[in-house]
Amino acid sequence: MKPFIRDIILEHKIEIMEEWQKEINKFRTDDSLQNITDTMYENTNREFVNKLILTVQTEGGGDHDELIQFAERLIQLGWPLNYITRGLQEFRKITIETLSETSDNYCKSIEFFQEIEDWIDGIVNLLVNQYSGSWENTVFLQKMALKELSAPLIPVFDNISVMPLIGTIDTERAKLIMENLLDGVIEHRSQVVLIDITGVPVVDTMVAHHIIQASEAVRLVGAKCILVGIRPEIAQTIVNLGIDLGKFPTKSTLKKGIESALELTKRQIVEIEQ
Amino acid sequence: MRIPILKLHDYLLISVQVELDDQTALQFQEDVLGKIHEEGSRGVVIDLTSVEMIDSFIAKVLGDVVDMSNLMGAKVVLTGIQPAVAITLIDMGIVLDEVPTALDLEQGLERLQLELEG
Repeated sequence: MKPFIRDIILEHKIEIMEEWQKEINKFRTDDSLQNITDTMYENTNREFVNKLILTVQTEGGGDHDELIQFAERLIQLGWPLNYITRGLQEFRKITIETLSETSDNYCKSIEFFQEIEDWIDGIVNLLVNQYSGSWENTVFLQKMALKELSAPLIPVFDNISVMPLIGTIDTERAKLIMENLLDGVIEHRSQVVLIDITGVPVVDTMVAHHIIQASEAVRLVGAKCILVGIRPEIAQTIVNLGIDLGKFPTKSTLKKGIESALELTKRQIVEIEQ
Repeated sequence: MRIPILKLHDYLLISVQVELDDQTALQFQEDVLGKIHEEGSRGVVIDLTSVEMIDSFIAKVLGDVVDMSNLMGAKVVLTGIQPAVAITLIDMGIVLDEVPTALDLEQGLERLQLELEG
């Protein structure tokens, strides 16, 4: 930024700050800002405008550390991005207004305008980047968490494991299911694996295809696969779609599945007489 | 390169320790059938624990070995197929439908006993 513009801004610093705080208080009624206390709001406003003025003072452009820290704090406290963008818009408006009122040199005003645009745009980019970065991070973490939850294999008895599936199955998840299933079979030395689809809302041709593939792969590594938890509506869709599940055993409930798994491994549950 | 075939009572034990190429696979097929004929074995266990890759040709040869041995009156069990190998086979659409499988050599022998009794 040109030194004389900077000087003018700094000269009118107090004016701009006061005007801006007045404007920003108009957003107070905004929905997303309702649960923030008045003092907190004022303090944050003051800090924000100070940081903005500071970026003018510490010219050089590269050093925005304080602003970044400030933005990080806002993100952590859950302030909306809305607040920042509107705050900056107002700030730009007020700065230009104030300066054009005071500046007597008319032919420089376009230059003024451009300088201020550049300055504010830089800050907008910086803050929006911070915000979107934090969102991407959150989405990534949630995706990971979902992935960890998506296909657990639970050994319930010696040589018998259960994989409960909940939620829709897409190709990526099907791959994960297959890998977990096979690795788990080897690790737990399972002879029978029960795939429980009670929690799968829709079984279409694709889902059925994935399940069939998984169970064939399980057979290749040397275990048996039983599909359990077939609800009436799922049985209806499977038959209506003409999917052939005849090749591998199915049971209506996990309980029945476990009984037949025990049978396959030559065991049974007996009641003890007291 | 020939794959060693061990005899254990009525059974033949084969542990494939090398990556199978086409030539080895065909040689292997011949050796197994010859050995079954020679020893009059009733069962064969082929252990694939150390095999990390099976292509469509090898899969076909293995399937053929199983069918041919069955014709000669020997049941065959494949054991120790690795998860990665299983996934590749399924992706290629090879399901080895009629072939009995087991997790490892121990369970393979049990399985064989079961097949022969049943």
